[in-house]
Amino acid sequence: MNLFKIVTKNMRQRALATTLTGVSVALAVALTVAIVHIKRGMQQRFEQSTLGYEMVVGAKGSPLQLVLNTVFNLDISPGNIPWSLVEKLQADKRVKSAVPFSVGDNYHGFRIVGTTDAFGETFGYKLAEGRWFTCSIDALRDAFKEALEHSHERIAKEKGEEPAKPATHHHNAAEAVIGATVAKETGLRVGQTFIAAHGVEVSANAEEHTDNPWTVTGILAPTGTAVDRGLYINLDSFYHIEGHEVRDTGKPEEKDNDPDPGQVSAVALKLRSPIHAFPIYREINDGEEAMAAFPAVEIRKLFAIVGNIDRILLAQAILIGLVAGVAIAVSIYNSMSERRREIAILRALGARRGTIFAIVVLEAVAICAVGAMVGVAGGHLIVVAANAALRQVSGFTVAPLTLEVAELWVVAGSVVLGALAGIGPAWRAYRTEVAENLAPTS
Amino acid sequence: MKNIVQERDEYVNRLNQNIKLGAPRRITVNEVLALKNLNKSYREADGNRLEVIQIKQFELAAGDQIALVGASGSGKSTLLNLIAGILLPDAGAVCVNGTDITQLPEARRDRFRAGNIGYVFQSFNLLQGFTALENVQLGQMFSGGGNGGRAAQLLEAVGLKNRLHHKPRELSVGEQQRVAIARALVNAPSLVLADEPTGSLDEKNGAAVLELLRQVCTEGRHTLLMVTHDPAVMRHFDRVVKLEELR
Repeated sequence: MNLFKIVTKNMRQRALATTLTGVSVALAVALTVAIVHIKRGMQQRFEQSTLGYEMVVGAKGSPLQLVLNTVFNLDISPGNIPWSLVEKLQADKRVKSAVPFSVGDNYHGFRIVGTTDAFGETFGYKLAEGRWFTCSIDALRDAFKEALEHSHERIAKEKGEEPAKPATHHHNAAEAVIGATVAKETGLRVGQTFIAAHGVEVSANAEEHTDNPWTVTGILAPTGTAVDRGLYINLDSFYHIEGHEVRDTGKPEEKDNDPDPGQVSAVALKLRSPIHAFPIYREINDGEEAMAAFPAVEIRKLFAIVGNIDRILLAQAILIGLVAGVAIAVSIYNSMSERRREIAILRALGARRGTIFAIVVLEAVAICAVGAMVGVAGGHLIVVAANAALRQVSGFTVAPLTLEVAELWVVAGSVVLGALAGIGPAWRAYRTEVAENLAPTS
Repeated sequence: MKNIVQERDEYVNRLNQNIKLGAPRRITVNEVLALKNLNKSYREADGNRLEVIQIKQFELAAGDQIALVGASGSGKSTLLNLIAGILLPDAGAVCVNGTDITQLPEARRDRFRAGNIGYVFQSFNLLQGFTALENVQLGQMFSGGGNGGRAAQLLEAVGLKNRLHHKPRELSVGEQQRVAIARALVNAPSLVLADEPTGSLDEKNGAAVLELLRQVCTEGRHTLLMVTHDPAVMRHFDRVVKLEELR
């Protein structure tokens, strides 16, 4: 026989009140754990994804949209930038690497990104199997030219004119390196082909590019970033697809002799030194043709906004916890009237006032501790349930079984809450007069 | 027709003619219980003080078995609570095994009670959520020692071998009081206080429980001080003390 056994017996005797108050603690803890876990997990994933992307350059508009689209395969592209800007940046001595991206298609909801073979090397993505595609500048220029001809042809047809006879172009193979999650969820293996659907999201009416199948040449090792959910194709193959015209101005004739052959969605930069970041950023943003953004800065801004929401949610969870604490205090305090005789008996058997105080505090602590542990498990279950929605919204999921240090603090906080909740009733128990309460009251 | 009080008084007087009572004895460490100049009063609603206990001197030696009688409201239960250290007197000393418990700090007094005094109540005072065995083990817990084996042995000794894991509501009243007796004796106290332990039992159960209590106290040389107003109970005791005579 020991104090814990007495506490357990007391809790069992008041099973309904114990369960209800414990559940309210569990609810508060589960919410707190889920909020902390999801926020931390998402922030980690987003920050991980920005690593290596020192600056992205795209069409003028929202810098956050540009970053989300370029780095995270989310949202839609804010527009295109001229290829000449990409070449200008590639030639800039301050720039170590400028990797272009073009987006607009998907495969089973996973985004297809046209890029060059510098993509993997620049950002350090390793292949789990297979090889990278090849994408030469000459092939790219030829693809741009072909895309321009497609554009002319479409406009001529719209005007009811006879389109010019298209030139014969040599096509490089249409190849793709796919992310680890794409491989896992679609079952695509090296050597298999796939057909892209137009648009960045799955749609029942989406047009499929059935005449342009891509062959998977490699599968990326898992990175825990947005790259896992992308299919990366050689950029030139992107422009071989009908509908991927390089200009949508409707006036291709004006650009026949334009030395600028094409457009891309964005370009990601790696700089030779961080000191070049702000000068390049200012130069691009002062110009009219493009906008530069720092992914890390934009993500911090995003989480600052999200942080406010999650602070409100956390405050709600803490409020629920406090209400649960008060409920425990009231429930045990009220039970003291029924338990006066029991306390008097224990005192008559030799229990000290301090022992009685400890029994009552331990009871409140035990309710909170058990509630908190159930809540931690519940919080992780919420994360499991939320993962489907998170994947839809952000493309990321959060590992549901990893334990955050914050969770230990939440459990510790619950124990402290229990101790505080137990003090009032324990004081009442402490003051119980033995002789007055030994006789039965009814 | 005699009422129960007359019957009791006649019995006590008859008994006391043959037994020397209250002869002054020195308080020594050999006394299991010694009360000296003990006073306890309560403040009444009108502000006056009601003197409940006034005892000049009273001692019990090891192995004594005494019935303490008194009218209702005469302070019998108050006296037991004073001896157990549950109440403190306004004045005087309560020495148990040579220790004046009125001088002990409350926490030490509680610990002392757990180790030296067994208490059997009229209403059994068993904890309803605990089994018979656990109720007896509770008695051991606060004395800071003991083993679970003795609790089980005592329950066997009082005839509850097959009732160890039954909760009080699953036991008859007689069985419940036997559990209470086992709990009172589990720490082998030198002094056992019993507050009308047969008061809630029928005649047959009452006699059996009384016999059991006296028997185990005799075997263990526990000093037994029993409060009663039942002449049938008094007849079992060689020595019966009227509370009024201790003034």
